[in-house]
Amino acid sequence: MEPKIGVYVCDCGSNILGKIDVPKVVEYIQSLPTVTIAREYRFMCSGPGQAMIEQDIKEMGLNRVVVASCTPQMHEPTFRRLMQRAGLNPYLFEMANIREHASWITEDPEAATEKAKALVRASVRRVYYQEPLETREVPVHPDTLVVGGGVAGIQAALEIADSGHKVYLVEREPSIGGHMIQLDKTFPTLDCSACILTPKMTLTGSHPFIELMTYSEVTEVSGFIGNFTVKIRKKPRYIDVNECNGCSDCEKVCPVTVPSEFNMKLGTRKATYRPFPQAVPSAYVIDKQGKSPCSFTCPAGVNAHGYVALISQGKFKEAMEVLRRTMPFAGVCGRVCTHPCETECERGKVDQPIAIRALKRFMADYELKNGREKAQPAERTKKDKIAVVGSGPAGLACAYDLVKAGYPVTVFEAASQAGGMLRYGIPEYRLPKQILDDEIEYVKELGVEIKTNTAVTDIDELKKQGYKAVFLANGAWVSQKMNIPGEDAKGVMHAIEFLKQVSEGKKVELGKRVAVVGGGNAAVDAARTALRLGAKEVSIIYRRSRAEMPAIPSEIEEMEEEGVKISYLTNPVEVVAESGKLARVKCIRMELGEPDASGRRRPVPIEGSEFEMEIDTLIMAIGQAVNKSMLPGNIEYSESGTVKADEITFETSVKGVFAGGDVMAGPATVIEAIAAGKEAAISVDRYLQGADMKEGRPEEKERVKDVSKEGVVEKPRATTSKLPVAERIRSFKEVESGLDKEAAIEEANRCLNCAVCCECLLCVSACERNAVKHDMKEEIVEVNVGNILLATGFKEFDPSVMQQYGYGRLDNVVTGLEFERMINSAGPTSGKILLKNGEEPKSVAIIHCVGSRDINHHEYCSAVCCMYSLKFSHLLREHLPGTEVYEFYIDIRAPRKGFEEFYNRILKEGTILYRGRPGEITDVAETPYEEGKLIVKFENTLIGEKERLPVDMVILSSALEPHENARDVARIFNISCGEADFFIERHPKLDPVATMTDGVFIAGCCESPKDIRDSVSQASAAAARILALISKGKVETEATIAEIDEERCSGCRVCNLLCPYGAIDYIEEKKVSRINDAICKGCGACVAACPSAAIKHKHYTTQEIMAQIEGILV
Amino acid sequence: MSWEPRIVGFLCSWCSYRGADLAGTSRIPSAPNVKVIKVPCSTRVEPAFVIKAFQSGADGVLILGCHPGDCHYIEGNYKTMRRVPLLKKMLKQFGIEEERVRLDWVSASEGEKYASVVNEMTEKVRELGPFKANNGEGQHGKN
Repeated sequence: MEPKIGVYVCDCGSNILGKIDVPKVVEYIQSLPTVTIAREYRFMCSGPGQAMIEQDIKEMGLNRVVVASCTPQMHEPTFRRLMQRAGLNPYLFEMANIREHASWITEDPEAATEKAKALVRASVRRVYYQEPLETREVPVHPDTLVVGGGVAGIQAALEIADSGHKVYLVEREPSIGGHMIQLDKTFPTLDCSACILTPKMTLTGSHPFIELMTYSEVTEVSGFIGNFTVKIRKKPRYIDVNECNGCSDCEKVCPVTVPSEFNMKLGTRKATYRPFPQAVPSAYVIDKQGKSPCSFTCPAGVNAHGYVALISQGKFKEAMEVLRRTMPFAGVCGRVCTHPCETECERGKVDQPIAIRALKRFMADYELKNGREKAQPAERTKKDKIAVVGSGPAGLACAYDLVKAGYPVTVFEAASQAGGMLRYGIPEYRLPKQILDDEIEYVKELGVEIKTNTAVTDIDELKKQGYKAVFLANGAWVSQKMNIPGEDAKGVMHAIEFLKQVSEGKKVELGKRVAVVGGGNAAVDAARTALRLGAKEVSIIYRRSRAEMPAIPSEIEEMEEEGVKISYLTNPVEVVAESGKLARVKCIRMELGEPDASGRRRPVPIEGSEFEMEIDTLIMAIGQAVNKSMLPGNIEYSESGTVKADEITFETSVKGVFAGGDVMAGPATVIEAIAAGKEAAISVDRYLQGADMKEGRPEEKERVKDVSKEGVVEKPRATTSKLPVAERIRSFKEVESGLDKEAAIEEANRCLNCAVCCECLLCVSACERNAVKHDMKEEIVEVNVGNILLATGFKEFDPSVMQQYGYGRLDNVVTGLEFERMINSAGPTSGKILLKNGEEPKSVAIIHCVGSRDINHHEYCSAVCCMYSLKFSHLLREHLPGTEVYEFYIDIRAPRKGFEEFYNRILKEGTILYRGRPGEITDVAETPYEEGKLIVKFENTLIGEKERLPVDMVILSSALEPHENARDVARIFNISCGEADFFIERHPKLDPVATMTDGVFIAGCCESPKDIRDSVSQASAAAARILALISKGKVETEATIAEIDEERCSGCRVCNLLCPYGAIDYIEEKKVSRINDAICKGCGACVAACPSAAIKHKHYTTQEIMAQIEGILV
Repeated sequence: MSWEPRIVGFLCSWCSYRGADLAGTSRIPSAPNVKVIKVPCSTRVEPAFVIKAFQSGADGVLILGCHPGDCHYIEGNYKTMRRVPLLKKMLKQFGIEEERVRLDWVSASEGEKYASVVNEMTEKVRELGPFKANNGEGQHGKN
C-alpha cells in the first residue's frame, strides 16, 4: 500500500511557536511529494488535537503519521495509542522533536525554523519506510524485590505483601529500620521515631508474605520487567537467625569492643552484637572481617588476636585455652619466637605494634605462677599408633595435634631429655628449662608418650611394632665445617655441640679470648654463653655487614651491651695452631658484591687484606646440617641435603612417613617448625583416614582489608625490663623479665581489633542453643521477581571536609545524627546531652545547610535540615531547660503540613535565629568570656555585621547525600544516577517513582533528600505501581528487536559473540544464526556488525535510518 | 547565506538523547548545527551511517553514547568505543579529517555537557571548513 503521510506540527502554546515559525514549517512540509496533509495546531496532545489527526486518518485514508512536537519520551505513547484507536499499527508513527531539540535550545528563530524543517523532513522520509510491528505479551512474575529496609522499603514491602504477594526485602545491615530508627523524635509532630517505626518493623519481620534477607546485598540482576532474576549475597552472620533467641549471652562474653555504627560511634558495641535492642530480626550477628594480620601472619596459625583480646579482659585462663587450641608452647614462644605477628601488627602504623610475644609470655607465666591445672588426657578415639621421631618443636607440635585428634602417639627422642633444640640449642638465659619442662609436661598429660634415650633409624622396625605412620622431626644437629686449614685443631669447637654440652651441665673448657664465626642466632647464643662461662673477651667474626646478619636484632643488641665485639666483613682463612693447640686465626677482610641466591649481597675477599687475630677458642656457627646417619637409609634427600618431603603434605618418598622442621626445611625458627609439625599432623590424620591429603590445602585465609585507625590515641607499647649487664654476664639467669598483670591488660587494650571478631569462641560455649556457627559461609541466593523497588536511602554528609567547622578536630562539634543518638534515651549517653567533659551545655549553636546549598559540596537543599534543626531547639530546651539555643540559617524552608506552624512555635519558645552561614568555628578565645568555648564566627546578614558567638556545643545540620556506592548499585539495576548520584526518576514531575528501566522503581532518599512522610508516600506510590503490574499480570515485550534473514546469513557467527544477552544461537543444520526474540533487547550491536547485512533491526532498519540521514541533510 | 557546518548527531536513546532533552528543558542554548537521529544504542551506528551522512552532505558526524559502564545494553558503548577509531582510521585513508567524526559520552543528567559538546563540535567543523566532497558545484545547500 502506497504510504499516505499526515504531518502534524504542534505550537505547544508558545513553547514551539514562540521560536519557530510553525506556519512556514507546515507550508514547507506540505510541499514534500510524499506528504498528503500537513497541519499546525496549538496543542497536538490535547483532545481536539488528537481528534483532528484521528479524523484525517479516517477521512483521508492516511496510513502513516508524523507529529512534530516535544520529545518522544513525553508523548510517543499518547500518539501510538491514537494510531491504535484509529486502526493503524502504532509503529507507523514517528515523532520529530522540535521543542527540546530546536525551539528550546536555539537562540536564532530563523535557524530554529530551518532546523525544525530538517527534523520534520527527516521524520517524513523515515516514516515512509516504517513497517507495522507486533508486540508479544509475557506474564509478570508476582513476586517483588525490595532493596533497602528503611522506612520506605518497609512501607512498600508491607503494602505489597498485604495484598498477598510475596516480597523479598533485602537489607545490607543486620537489622531493618534504616536511618529512621536512629532518630529520636520526628518533626513537626515530635512523635517518637522508634515508637512509630518498630511496630512496622515487627510486622515486616513476621509477615507471612515477606522474606526478610538482612545482612545481604544484591550482586547481579538479569532479565527484564516481569521476569528478573536476582542474585543476592547473604553475608555470613555466624549466628543462626532461626536458632538465636536474642538472649545476649554471647554478647556478654565477647572480649572485643568496637565503636557502634548505630550510635554514630559515640558508643560501643561488641564484635558479637545486635545494632539496637528492637532490631528485626532480633538475632545477633558476629562482625568478622577476615583474619587479623597477627593471626593471619603466624606460620602456625596461632590466634594471637584471640588471646590478646581475652588478656585485655583479664580472662587469662581463657586466653591460654585459645593458644592451646593451636599449640602448647606459650611460655617458649612467648620468649623465643621471632614474632612475625608483631611485624604485621596494624597498631604499628599508628605508633608501635602490640607486644604480642610479651603478652603470650605473660599468660604462660601467670598460669605457672598461679598453679597450672593438670591437663585433661585427650580422649582416645582412634586405634592407629603414630610414631614421632624427635621431640623438638616440630615433633611435639605434631604429637600434640594428633593426640588431641584421638590417636595414640609416641615420641622417640635420642637425647636424655625431650625438647630438642629448645632444650639444647637455646641457652637458659633466654629460655629457662623450667618453662620448657612444664610445657612438655602438659603435652605428656594429654597422653603423648615420650621415650628418651631412644634413637630411631629403622622405620621398618617401627612398623613392625605396629606404628601406622611416622613423622620425622630429627632436626639439623650437625655443624657445618669451613674447610680451612687447621680447622681440626684443639680449641676449635662447634656452636651446636658447645651449647648442648653447656645445657647438659657438662664442663666445657674455654680460653680467655673466644671468637665465634657466624652471624646467626647460634653464633649469638654461643658468644653470650661463652661470656657467661667466664671468657674475658668474646668477639664475633662475620663475613657480611650488620644489615645482613640473620640473628634476631634484639639479641644482637643485648650481646653488644654485654660487651661482645663484632668484626664485620671478616672471614677466617686459616686456623694457626701451635703445638696442636689453637693460637691464632688468620682472617681476611671482605667487601659486599652482587646479591646471591638468598638475596643478600655476596661477600668477596679483598686481596692482600689478611691479618691475624690472637685467639684461644674458636667456635664455628656457620650453619647446621642434617645428620643422615640418624635417618632411615631408604629416604630421599633434597639437593640441600635435607629430607625431601612434599611442601604441602610433608610426606616423604616413603609412604606413610612424613618429615618436617629443620630435618626437612633446614635450620629455621621455632614457629616454622611448629607450623610444619601441625601441617604434618593434618596429613597423618588424613593418611590414616584414607582421605585426600592435598584437598583444600594450603588453607585459604582472608586477611582483613582496611583497618580503621580513626580516633586512636597514640600510646607507647609496654616495655619489659632486662637484668643489668653486670648481673647478666655472671649467670644464666633469664635476661628479660615479663609483664605484670596490669601492664599486660593495658597493653592488650592497645589492640585495634583489626578483624573485629577475634575468634576466641567464648560465644560458642556461652550459647545454650548452639546458634553460634563460626564456620558459616557466604551464600548466594537466586530469586525470580517481576518488579524491583530500590529504597536504598542516603548517608549523612561527613562535615570533617569543611575544616572551618572543626568537626573531628574540636570537641563538642557534632553532626545532626550524632545528636539524635545522644538525645535518645536508648542512646550511648542514655539521653543525656553531654559535653566531652561530662558537663551539660549551657548554650548550643545549630548550623543549618552544612554541606547543602554549598557549591563546594552539594548544591541541592537537603530538604529536612531546617526542620530537624528546629526540632533540636525544642528538644534541647525540653531536656535542659534554660539552655540558650541559636540557629544559623540561610533561609528557613518550611513548606509542608505543619512545618511553618512548628517554626513559629520554636520562635515563641525563645530560640534565637541568626541569618547567615557561619564562616568558622574556633576555640581561639579573644576575650576571657570566650575562654573554653567554641566561638561561632558569622555575619549577621540581617544587620550586615560580623559577630562572634561563644557557645558550649555546636550541632552541624549535615546534608543528606547518596551512598558512596550509588553508582555501582545503579549499574547493577541498569538505572542511572544524576549529577549528585541520586537515582534518576523517569520523569521529574509525572513519573517520580519509576525509572528508565521498566519494572525498576525507586522511593525515598535514594531518589532525592526528603522527609519520612515523603519517603512513605513514594513507597506507597511505587507499591501501587508494582501492584498494578502484578494485577495486570502481563507486559508487552520489545517489538523493536533484531531479526536474521536466514537467506542472507553466511553463518559467519560474528553476531553470536557480540550479543550481550546471548540471544543469538547458531543453527548447525542450517549453518545460520538465529535470534531468540524472547531474549533480544534490540540494542543493534549485531545489526551494525553483520557483514552480509542479513540482520534487520525492526523500527531501526538501515533503510529507515539512511532515509532519515538524507532527510536531515537534503 | 554563508556556509554553516552541517552535523548529524547519532544519540543513544537511553543517555545521550535524554541528555539532549535535558539541555532543552533546561533551556541551555547551543549551536543549531547538530541535528539528531535517535538510535537505541551507540553500538547501532553502522560505519555506513557515517559514510552515508558525509555522502549526503554532512560536514561532521557526532556519536554520543552512555558513559562507559553505564550502557543500558550492558556493553554496547564499549563496542562503539572500539569501532569508531577503526572507522576514523579508514576515513583518514580517504583523506577525511578525523575530527569530523567525534565520539563522546553524555549521560541523561548532562544537559550542560551536551550543549558544550555540540558547540565544540560545531566550532571544530567550522574551523575545518566544508567537507571537501561537498564543496563541489551545486551538489548541496539547496535548502
